[in-house]
Amino acid sequence: MSARDRILQNVRHGLGGSAARDVTKSDWIKTTHAPIPAIARRNGSERTTQFLNNFEQMHGTYSKLKSFDELPAMLSQQLRERNIGQSVRMGPEPDFSTLDWSNMDVSVGPGRLVEPATLTRAFCASSETGTLMLLSGAKNPVTLNFLGETHFVALKSSEIEAGFEGMWSRWRASGHTPRTVNLITGPSRTADIEQSLELGAHGALAVHLFLVDDLDTKDAT
Amino acid sequence: MIQHPAAKNFPKNVDQALKNETLQGTLRQVSGGFVDSRATARANLPEFDSLRDAARYMKNHTLQHLDLYLEEFEQAAKNAGGHVHWAENAKDAQQIVLDICADTNAKIVSKGKSMVAEEIELNKALEENGYEVVETDLGEYIIQLRNETPSHIIAPAVHVNKKQIEQDFRIAHSHLDPDRSFVDSSSLVREARHVLREKYFLADVGITGANMLIAETGQSVIVTNEGNGDLTQSLARVHIVIASLEKVVPTLDDASTVLRLLARSATGQPITAYTTFSSGPRRASDPDGPEEYHVVLIDNGRSKMLGSDFQDVLRCIRCGACMNHCPVYQAVGGHAYGSVYPGPIGAVLTPALSGVEDNKHLPNASTFCGRCEAVCPMRIPLPKMMRHWREREFEQHLTPAAMRYGLRFWAFFAERPKLYHFCTRWANRVMHMSARGKGRFSYLPFASAWTRYRDMPAPEATTFQSQWAKNRK
Repeated sequence: MSARDRILQNVRHGLGGSAARDVTKSDWIKTTHAPIPAIARRNGSERTTQFLNNFEQMHGTYSKLKSFDELPAMLSQQLRERNIGQSVRMGPEPDFSTLDWSNMDVSVGPGRLVEPATLTRAFCASSETGTLMLLSGAKNPVTLNFLGETHFVALKSSEIEAGFEGMWSRWRASGHTPRTVNLITGPSRTADIEQSLELGAHGALAVHLFLVDDLDTKDAT
Repeated sequence: MIQHPAAKNFPKNVDQALKNETLQGTLRQVSGGFVDSRATARANLPEFDSLRDAARYMKNHTLQHLDLYLEEFEQAAKNAGGHVHWAENAKDAQQIVLDICADTNAKIVSKGKSMVAEEIELNKALEENGYEVVETDLGEYIIQLRNETPSHIIAPAVHVNKKQIEQDFRIAHSHLDPDRSFVDSSSLVREARHVLREKYFLADVGITGANMLIAETGQSVIVTNEGNGDLTQSLARVHIVIASLEKVVPTLDDASTVLRLLARSATGQPITAYTTFSSGPRRASDPDGPEEYHVVLIDNGRSKMLGSDFQDVLRCIRCGACMNHCPVYQAVGGHAYGSVYPGPIGAVLTPALSGVEDNKHLPNASTFCGRCEAVCPMRIPLPKMMRHWREREFEQHLTPAAMRYGLRFWAFFAERPKLYHFCTRWANRVMHMSARGKGRFSYLPFASAWTRYRDMPAPEATTFQSQWAKNRK
C-alpha cells in the first residue's frame, strides 16, 4: 500500500470508516454559504470610490486616465516625479503595444535582477479591499509584478468588481488558466523589525495605478 | 538567548524569559501592536463574527469530507501539470523534498516562510545533505543568521531588537562596507532586500508553504506582505509547496471567507499586500515561472486527530491571534514553549503531534482566561482542548507528585462542603489579617515564584458564600 493510500485510509478511519464515503460528488463538493460583507457589495461610483480609498490606505497611489492613449505621457510624468529614468519593462500586452512609446525606452520581457520600473495590465480588481488581480502569462510575465522597484499597473474602471466573489466569477468566465493568480494590494512591506512598518521589503517599493475611466460612473452598476 | 529549548524544560525556560530584559522589551510591542490592530480591523467589519461562524462551518464540513477533498485537490493539481506527493511523517516529507532537489541537480534552495517546514525540520535535512538553504522572509532570514527558531507564527523574529539585527547583519554581510551606518529600520530592510535579491535568481529550487489548498482549482495559496514567497516560487526552476493535510478548502469562494478573517486576525490588515494562487508549472507560452511544480501533502499526525477530542484544532489558519492575546505568551514569548507552535495553539497542537509525555507543561501554560478562544477566527475551543490534555496528563500519571497530592488534599475538602466552608472561612480571616490592611502580600512563603514579580492579592475577611448568605437575608 502506498503512503497516499495509507494516509487516506487513516483519514477515513478517523472519520468513522469508509461507509460514510459512499456519497456522490454533488453531495459534498460545495461552497459553504458565508455572508458577503457590505463593503463587498458596493455598486456604481461608490464602488470605484471605495476601491481607490482602500488602495490608497494600503499605500498605493493612482492617476486617472481617459483612455489608454494617455498612458505613455502619464507614465513618463510619473517616472520624472519619482526621479526614475525614462525606461520601463513590460510584457507584450496588446493594450500597451499599440501605444506610442517613442519618448521612452521600453523593453519587453520578464523581470531582471535590477528593474527600476515595470508596467503590467491588471485583469480586474476588488473594491472591497483595494486589491488588483493580475494573471501570469505571456502578455504579463509574473516576475514584473515583484521585481520592479516601482510597479505601475493599468486597469479599467469597468474591471473593478465589488469583492472577491466578483473577481472569481470574472476569472472563471474568462477561461484563463494561468499558473498564478496574483492579488496585489499596495507595495510590499514588512514589520519584522520591532514591528515598525517599512515599505519595500522584497517586492515593489511603490505601486502606482493608472485607472482608465471607461465608465459613466453615474449610471454604472 | 534561549536556543532550541525543549518543551519539557518549560518552567526553566519561563524563568530565563522573565529575566531577559531584551526579550521583555520586545514582547511589550507584541501586546500593543497586534492586539490593537486586530481590534480595529474587527470593528471595521460588522460581519466579522458572522464570517467566523461561516468559516467554522466551512472547515468542519471540509474536515468531515477530508479524504474526498484531498483526492479532488490532487486531481485538479495534476490536471494543471503539478506533481502531488504524500508524506506520512516528517522523515518522509524530508526525503520527498531531498529527492526532488537531487533529481533537479539543485545546489541552492530558497525558502518562503513555512511553519510546517519548521515542524519537519526541513532546513536541517537539506543542509545535512549539502544544500545551501536561504530563508527569504525577513524575519526568518534574521533568525537563520542567529541560528534560532521562530518565536511567533507570523513574526518569527519578534524577540529580536534592531540593535541585535544590526550586529547580525554586520557579521553575515561582511562583504559590504564595514563603516556603513544603519540609521533606522529601513536601512536594515534595504540591506536584506539587496542581499537576498540575488539569491532568488541563483536558487534552483524554491520552497513555499501554503495558507490554503483549493480543491476546486488545484491551487496552493500563499498570503504574504513581503513578496519573498512570490520571488521564491517564480524565479527558481522548481517550485515545491509543502502543506499539511488540513489546509484544503473546497472552493475559491470558501477561500474568500478565510481571507476575510486571516489578515484581520493576524496583523489587523484588511488584506495582505500579496495573495497568490499557484497551480502547475509555467505554461507553454510563459516567459517566466518554474518548470516544475510539486505539492507535498504532509500528515505527520493529523489523520489521527480526526474523530478525536482534538479534531477542531485542525481548523487553525495560523493567524497567531491566540498567542498575541495570551497573557502567558505576552509574558514569556515563544521560545519558552520549546515547540514549533508556541502559545495556546501550540499548547494543543504540539502534544497531539508529538505526544503529551514530553509536552505536558504546554497545556498547563494557560490561565484559562479564554481570550484565545474569544479571538480565534475559526472559533477553536482552545481552553477546552487544553483541559482535555490536562486530564490525559493526570490519567497517565504525568502530573508531578506534589500537584497530585495537592489535588487530592483539595478534593478531600471539596467533597465535604461544611468542612470546606469552615476551613476557608478561617483561612480567609487569617490571611486577611496577615496582610495588615494592605490588601496584598509582597512576600509569601512557598509562593516566591509569584511574589518575585507581582503582589499576591489578599482575600477579603469573609468568603463569598458568607457574604451571599448574609445579603440574601
